[in-house]
Amino acid sequence: MTTHSITATRISRRTALMGLTASTAMAAMPMRARAQSAATIRWWSPQGAPAQVAAYEFQIAKFQELHPEITVVFETTSDEGYAPQLAAAFSSGEVPDVVTHLPSFAVQSYYANGLVEPFDDVINAIGVEDFYPGANDVFRTADGNYCGTGIGNSAANMMWLRTDLMERAGIEKSPVTWDEMRTALAAMQTGGIYGAPLPYGSNSMTSLIFIGFIHQAGGQVFTPDLQVALDNEGTRNALEFYRELREYCPPGATNYSWGESLTGFVSGATATGIYTGRVLANVRDQNPSIADSITCVTYPRISEDVAPWTFNDFPSVFIPAQSQNKDAAKMFAAFLFDPEGYIQQLHAAPGHVLPVLESINSNPMYQDNDIIQKYSQEVDLMASAAAGGFNLGYESTEHQSNDKAGEIIGSNIIADLVQKVVLNGDNVDEALSTASAAIENIVRG
Amino acid sequence: MSTQKTLLERRYATLGMALIAPTVLIFCAVIVYPLFSAIYLSFYSVFTPTLEGEWVGLSNYSELLQTGRFWNALGNTLIWTIGSLFLQIILGIGIALVLHQNIWFRSLARSLILFPYFISTVVAVLVWKWLFNDLYGILNHLLMKVGIIEFPMDFLGTMPNAMISVILVGAWKYFPFVVIAVLARLQSIPESLYEAAKIDGAGPVARFFDVTLPQLRDVLVVIIMLRAIWDFKEFDMIYLLTGGGPLDDTQTLPLLVYQEAFALNDMGMASAYAVVMMLIMLVFMLVYIRRTKDDGGV
Repeated sequence: MTTHSITATRISRRTALMGLTASTAMAAMPMRARAQSAATIRWWSPQGAPAQVAAYEFQIAKFQELHPEITVVFETTSDEGYAPQLAAAFSSGEVPDVVTHLPSFAVQSYYANGLVEPFDDVINAIGVEDFYPGANDVFRTADGNYCGTGIGNSAANMMWLRTDLMERAGIEKSPVTWDEMRTALAAMQTGGIYGAPLPYGSNSMTSLIFIGFIHQAGGQVFTPDLQVALDNEGTRNALEFYRELREYCPPGATNYSWGESLTGFVSGATATGIYTGRVLANVRDQNPSIADSITCVTYPRISEDVAPWTFNDFPSVFIPAQSQNKDAAKMFAAFLFDPEGYIQQLHAAPGHVLPVLESINSNPMYQDNDIIQKYSQEVDLMASAAAGGFNLGYESTEHQSNDKAGEIIGSNIIADLVQKVVLNGDNVDEALSTASAAIENIVRG
Repeated sequence: MSTQKTLLERRYATLGMALIAPTVLIFCAVIVYPLFSAIYLSFYSVFTPTLEGEWVGLSNYSELLQTGRFWNALGNTLIWTIGSLFLQIILGIGIALVLHQNIWFRSLARSLILFPYFISTVVAVLVWKWLFNDLYGILNHLLMKVGIIEFPMDFLGTMPNAMISVILVGAWKYFPFVVIAVLARLQSIPESLYEAAKIDGAGPVARFFDVTLPQLRDVLVVIIMLRAIWDFKEFDMIYLLTGGGPLDDTQTLPLLVYQEAFALNDMGMASAYAVVMMLIMLVFMLVYIRRTKDDGGV
């Protein structure tokens, strides 16, 4: 079978409709011409909390002061919605010029399909030596280039704990193993407070978090050379443990995603949480009464023999290959790491997005933040955990980069596996076999 | 004289064509072109972001018909459509009958009843998700306070609660459409029919079944037809409420199209699903046309 460009066919069909669109195009031409000469850069990000947007606007204003001929326009996408929005943008050719905060595996997938510009010169402009060692490994591509870089790190599956509830329940130390976790949750689940807000929904959070449980049980989804290896002892143990944890989660956890899980802990409805450092700012703003009683640890694992596995989606910055303003976009992408603006961006959600540059972490301006100072131990722990973090696109340092990770997460195969076993009580062998076959199907394309 | 008439007719014909041309062109651009595009793409395996792919013939169709996902989604779509439509009609007729009476604040009530229909779906879903919330939702709070349940109920994460919740929210959101249409028809039913029925000794129930309902029949056929088509292709409300879960128990065909196109990046398969959906709706349409033809038109 031969490969055809459907795009080319679309264009020829559009040409057939030229009579219809001619007048519209004529009317739009002067505007497009002006836009091109003015080099308007469109910046997309799913991170659109008001404080973050204010920080982005500050960075944009500073950049435009230096480059008055360039206009930067910020546009918000969403964590669940970026895939269709970018797919439409890529297929229509109307792409943003800079995209930030998407997971590394999404960028790898786009790069593998020729949709992303190599990012090496931007990394060089920022300063290769300033990145934490290995920080860009997750963005290295099969052809030896970098498809993007991290605009920050995130430790998305930290276990958040209420020290006051631990004390009340007689829990002396933070749980390290699954047995200790089970004991702690059972002891703290009392008086209308649930143990944990773990997700069991048909969504990406369930998939992403459960992949962490597989690794925390010593398992993996793929072998290092990317053969499907979901059906392993680690996955089976993880499924069994996740099923046991259901009784410590609120009834509605069967439909939880990131927002509900975060709110569960911040509001005080659950004794533990699973999230990034965004918990810190939300507790300060929404429930300050527990602000002195929270801390975090890396999520427990099956035994101390298994190393912690922190889920870092490696929030990225990259430039689509179809951008009409690549040079300006590269300048702007590098400028995003300028200390003044970058620190303000990090301070907009302290602890949520962690710096990827060593010079920023040690910068007194970055340390001069009430949350980072108050929770310095937690922020340091998250920074080190995230720096050694992984995701499905980069399961371990031995694993090859997996550019099918985005489609596997988007297909909800892993979340469905969890729901079948935990909620439906389906046979584990059959559920694992079905999930493995479905992943195999995606890998084969 | 006859030549002048022919010329005039030709001019009118030309003018008519010129006037109708923009509509035809727009119709072609927004209906015909996407339709043929979808059919064309369904014969390819297409990677969505690049729209590049290879010819696969009918294999997308044979694959979708062989997998359980299609039949499951079709079943869910029918349950959702029929369940939601049934409640919309019952609620819509009931409320319309109430609003047709000479009640206090009738004008205000008529305006307020339209509120769910005009509110944005995203806002409506956020409100309902908040009401359904297991930890803070007022529904669970009230049910526990009254003593009906001991622990919070999981409205959206287990079956059959999830499907029932989706159907209820759908009925709440769309029943005002039925109210508007039925109320308009009620106002045009001749009062003499009711007077004659009263003289014949018909009570309120008999008057409803023997006068009102037959008079509403034509408008109800149109309402059912339109709402069936709209509900069949409903996407945003179900996607935002449950995302198709738990498992794929509320996954309807439009959600499956979306997942194929944008999560699995297979625009060819998504197009095949869309074309099959269109064929199913075409059956609805043919039944409707035949029915209205038999009745001599609506």
